[in-house]
Amino acid sequence: MADVIKKNGEFFRRFNPLRIIEHQANAITFIVLVVTGVSQKFHDSAWAEWIIMNLGGIDNARIIHRTTGLVFTALTLQHILTGSYGLIVKKWMPSMVINLKDFTDAIDNLKYYFGITDMPARCDRYDYKQKFEYWGVVVGGVLMIMTGLTLWFPTKVFHLIPFLPGQIIPAAKAAHTNEAMLALLVIVIWHIYNSVFSPEVFPLDTAIFTGRISKERMIHEHPLEYERLTGEKLRDDAGSEEGKGPEGDEAGSAP
Amino acid sequence: MTKRTILLTVLVFSFFFISHSSTFASYQRGEEGALCLGCHDNKGMSLTFGNGEKLSLFVDDRSLMASAHKNIRCSDCHKGFALGDHPKRQFKNRRSLSLWASESCRQCHSFKKGVHLRMLGALKEAACVDCHGSHAIKPVKESGDTCYGCHKYALSIPFKDGSSHSLEVEEDALKASVHNKLRCADCHFGFSSKEHPERDFKDKRNFTIITSETCRRCHFDKYTKTLESMHFNVLLKGNLKAPVCVDCHGAHAIKAGRTEKIESARRCKGCHEGIYQIYSMSVHGKSLLSTHNQDVPVCSDCHRAHDISDPRMADFRNNIPQMCSNCHANEELMKKYGLSTLVLQSYLEDFHGVTVSYYKKQKNAIRHIAVCTDCHGIHDITRTKGPDASIVKANLVRRCRKCHPGASDNFPDAWISHYEPNFKRAPLVYTINLIYSVFIPFMIVGLVLQIVLHIWRYAVNR
Repeated sequence: MADVIKKNGEFFRRFNPLRIIEHQANAITFIVLVVTGVSQKFHDSAWAEWIIMNLGGIDNARIIHRTTGLVFTALTLQHILTGSYGLIVKKWMPSMVINLKDFTDAIDNLKYYFGITDMPARCDRYDYKQKFEYWGVVVGGVLMIMTGLTLWFPTKVFHLIPFLPGQIIPAAKAAHTNEAMLALLVIVIWHIYNSVFSPEVFPLDTAIFTGRISKERMIHEHPLEYERLTGEKLRDDAGSEEGKGPEGDEAGSAP
Repeated sequence: MTKRTILLTVLVFSFFFISHSSTFASYQRGEEGALCLGCHDNKGMSLTFGNGEKLSLFVDDRSLMASAHKNIRCSDCHKGFALGDHPKRQFKNRRSLSLWASESCRQCHSFKKGVHLRMLGALKEAACVDCHGSHAIKPVKESGDTCYGCHKYALSIPFKDGSSHSLEVEEDALKASVHNKLRCADCHFGFSSKEHPERDFKDKRNFTIITSETCRRCHFDKYTKTLESMHFNVLLKGNLKAPVCVDCHGAHAIKAGRTEKIESARRCKGCHEGIYQIYSMSVHGKSLLSTHNQDVPVCSDCHRAHDISDPRMADFRNNIPQMCSNCHANEELMKKYGLSTLVLQSYLEDFHGVTVSYYKKQKNAIRHIAVCTDCHGIHDITRTKGPDASIVKANLVRRCRKCHPGASDNFPDAWISHYEPNFKRAPLVYTINLIYSVFIPFMIVGLVLQIVLHIWRYAVNR
């Protein structure tokens, strides 16, 4: 059935090309930062040594890490500026902003998982899981940039803010290394599950590569956005029939 | 006339008497020998010196016959004694007799060359008989190991530059040395009772350096180590003050390498006086000098004994943490002084430690990275607690600025000491670590639970 829909070209555009490029750039930067960073954190172990020696030594590994860090900084700044400009000047819909509904959605979903209710939460353009990840990347990214720059230019920090205590440097290191571990674990466990191994998207959620999402998934995962875009009202129980597809729907239209 | 008749009578009488007892000897020695031995084969015969010392005047005919001088007459050596003349002489002591007797050797042995010429200056003290014996004299080539015979006197070897060096060997010192089982020729290669080559040295230093080469014949491992050393390198470049084996170990009074640590340090002091003074004021030096503490490091513990490398080289620098940790990571040893053994680990976990560790592996270290000695001092290592702590701190910021120009006064505080961050010492670091140590597991468990629930729900719905 899904094939039929795809043949009919019933897709919704979800991401514009710039956002796709941004994601891929972020992914590559992230991987490089992880490889060069984690091997520095576990510098004692054999595999870390192998990586660092193959990168041409500890100084090279650090240069690569810091340069990639600058790329990551540029990407993050670009994103914040674009987002702010879009929200303030172009009056974009603040679809990424966390609101009360996200918390109730999370609770509703938990209830659904435990079988207390029959219906999962009905989400808009971004569900609470995606918002959690997004803000993790933005806030965590800013934290990583600030602590990373502190470690890169340890003396400059004291010129910038003279009253800082000396332990700000080891504190920055602690935050940088811990936050990195947290980010890595969230990405490896949560993001990879949701975009690769989750039975709903397996073998791969292609939305971030093609920029499109099928009508079927749109109705299933983002019913509120679907309704807003198409103006049609989905039956309340439509989403609860997992895997059965939108059998009760008329043809959707891509914006 | 009558005197001569009596003498002749005695002679004839003696001749028969002696030929009866030792016909062979008299035949060989002739008339005079027979006459002398007529009396001097009496074992009880003795001479008393002015100082009461006694000397047997017995002459062993058999050893005389076996000697190099078997064909010369008694009076050839005993000047003034002749067939009809037996002057009475008085000597102060036995030594003066020996010296007097040696004078007659010069009649035949001119000492115009060779080792004796060199000894001429000392010949007033050394008598020929000391080395060669008297009646039982043998050719030098057949005599035993008689080095002491000459070298117990203040002989000296002249050098080309006009100076000289004593060749006196103290037998007691040699016997107390670790080499007391060795023969002279084991070290003095090429010298023996048969051979005593003449050598010419430019000066005393030249003599010392060249004779020192002999040590490698047994201590080849140590010798090869010294070839890699700073000292050998400097020597090669022409600085003859660079020490060779005997400069540190001594020559004849050689002792075991591992002796009292103070002695070891004092050997280095000979040349490195300034550094020794600094060291003696350090926490290690003070302890060594005041309480003879054998736990503390001396020069050779860090710089090594034989393969002393240039401490300015990167290899040496990068090895300093391991060097210090030989003691400072030794639990048992540090417990004695209430010191933490975490110092190495905490350093290695830090930026500098990671860099140094990798520079060692990479073998291409270009930069100097701060190691133990940069903060704690090199020879002037002080305590980090108590009154010296402020000195350590004051030096710290200057050291930081070498690599981190413009480091502010509070910059050294970025190093939160060698101890695990705790709430009192580094509250910020401690809190951050604490928060994450709770938050990361909480987050991961939560996310994994959600995933499991999601899969479970999905499976149930199917």
